Amino acid sequence: MASTFSQPQPRQPLPIGLYSSLLPPLLWMTLLYFVPIALLISYSVWRLEAFDIVKEFSLVNFKTILTNVAYRTVIGRTVLTALGVTAIDILITLPIGYFIGRYGGRYRTLLTLLIILPLWSSYLVRVFAWKIILGYNGVLNSALMAIGLFKQPSQIFLYNQFSTMLTFVHVWLPFMILPVITAFERLPPELLEASADLNANPWTTFRRIILPLVMPGVLAGSINVFSLTMGDFITPSLVGSPTGIMLGNVISSQFGVAYNWPLGATFALVVMLIVFLGLAIGLRQGALDS
Amino acid sequence: MWRRLLIAWCIGWLGFSAIFLPIAPAQAANCTLTAIVWEGYTDPSFTKEFEAQTGCAVKATYAGSSDEMFAKFRAGGGRTYDVISASGDITERLYKAGLVRAIDTDQLKNYSSVFESFQGGKWNTFDGKPYGVTFAWGPNVLVYDTKVIKTAPTSWDVLSDPAYAGKISLPDNPMTIADVALWLGKPEPYDLSEADLAEVKQKLLELRPNIRKFWTTAGELANLFQSGEVVMAHAWPLTYTQLSEAGFPIGSASPQGKLTGWTDSWMISKKSPHPEAAYAWIDFILSGAGQKGVMDVTGYSGATTLGAEAIGQERAHELFMDDLSLHSQIKMWQSVKNYDQWVQLWNEIRT
Repeated sequence: MASTFSQPQPRQPLPIGLYSSLLPPLLWMTLLYFVPIALLISYSVWRLEAFDIVKEFSLVNFKTILTNVAYRTVIGRTVLTALGVTAIDILITLPIGYFIGRYGGRYRTLLTLLIILPLWSSYLVRVFAWKIILGYNGVLNSALMAIGLFKQPSQIFLYNQFSTMLTFVHVWLPFMILPVITAFERLPPELLEASADLNANPWTTFRRIILPLVMPGVLAGSINVFSLTMGDFITPSLVGSPTGIMLGNVISSQFGVAYNWPLGATFALVVMLIVFLGLAIGLRQGALDS
Repeated sequence: MWRRLLIAWCIGWLGFSAIFLPIAPAQAANCTLTAIVWEGYTDPSFTKEFEAQTGCAVKATYAGSSDEMFAKFRAGGGRTYDVISASGDITERLYKAGLVRAIDTDQLKNYSSVFESFQGGKWNTFDGKPYGVTFAWGPNVLVYDTKVIKTAPTSWDVLSDPAYAGKISLPDNPMTIADVALWLGKPEPYDLSEADLAEVKQKLLELRPNIRKFWTTAGELANLFQSGEVVMAHAWPLTYTQLSEAGFPIGSASPQGKLTGWTDSWMISKKSPHPEAAYAWIDFILSGAGQKGVMDVTGYSGATTLGAEAIGQERAHELFMDDLSLHSQIKMWQSVKNYDQWVQLWNEIRT
């Protein structure tokens, strides 16, 4: 990149072409990004009264969210779920990324492709697959009964926090693996050899050489997984516990059955704030340095 | 350089214009009737006949709750939908919001066949004028897997039976609070004080461990029964009809005096782009074929004598269409004044 920029460029006296080519993306961003966000923010300070949205400034929605125990529980549960899913994905991804980056060799492209493959199927299909696997008459129960471990099907696999986490971990895994593989590919093997030559044990090499060098990839993946989990409502409503709704479900119910758009908008703003907070932490740690 | 920029610029604009394309789809049919309805009210089995008769295509959106229906109908200034299958809890709200037009009954040749007590029903007549045409009604019932539950339950208390722990399903709709209030013996289940709501909450919390899943669509509930996840549910008769047609061993019980339900009316948007098509549709649904279609698909009761004839005396008696004795017993859905409190309570139950 640096070499392209250092070449002397012929000066454009009037770069109208350049500016006008910026116009479409700018319009695009304005229409599809800035305007909706402005709308969202304005809805969040309006309020609902007798099935009508009163367009006057009020902070009543923020007060409702802060004072209601149930809503606070939902926020806490959503953040914890998102953090948990991210952590599990990191634990799964590190060995896979190390293996593919180190020993993938000429199969590296193929292995990477296999990881992206699930993304070609619909997200819904993958969630439903878990319903079929974990269900009362599902694959897992049938298998456990066939080998004689269970006398009758068990209900413990589906419709609880476990099935929600498992599904999230699975469906968002590619978004974590891809940046991590890239980070491992850039890891110079000489450094690992040098570390071994200097008598460092594998754990020390991992802690002091590998981890710091792949950290940007891990952080980039974490931002993906964390924000995807924060805003999702399909997985908890399809495989989640009847008492384990997440922020996404609350938002969808406020915009749908409850018809309280102002409160829904405020909740959406809460999600955005939490995601931005996560993003800020990630960026500070150098998520995009790679 | 300039050329390349120009090309990029053009491609950019082309891509940008793509978002405006879907707004103007090719209109092959003579007219399109847009409707927002409860699941089953525009089933292809009878809608096709209407489309063949009139040459009008029917484009329907299903709603999951009355409030969603109201919100979607109102969005876009009421031009998005021609007709709405409004339940009694939003008819007045639609009228007060000025979203629906008075029905000119002369344009409906089947209007005289609507049961007399339904003509001028207080749920869709305002200011002395009809704003809706009643076409279907029914109770919310208890459906159960007859392989597991051999004797028909006679009370809603069976839902809290520990024998069925983790095997029941309730609708994911705050209106369910009215049912719980009714089980608790509240005389006015749509007018609940804070103390009443606290009692309802207590009852729901007791019931919660028994609940496997809250259902959102009839299709989802049918799936829950078929995959063996639940054996009992508080549901619309639609689920009973769907499952018995699929050959599933399903039973339906309506515990005496503890029933909520709905009376649905077709209403026409004040700004409907195709009022003739809307009238033609309502007329079709009031006719024998339309009524039979709705009743066969949903298992709800019809509202016209033509419908009663079309399904035969025996079936009409089963659906209480001969004496309407059930209709007066049901606590029909009404507007709830403190509905935001209901929603909040419901969210608390779900967390």
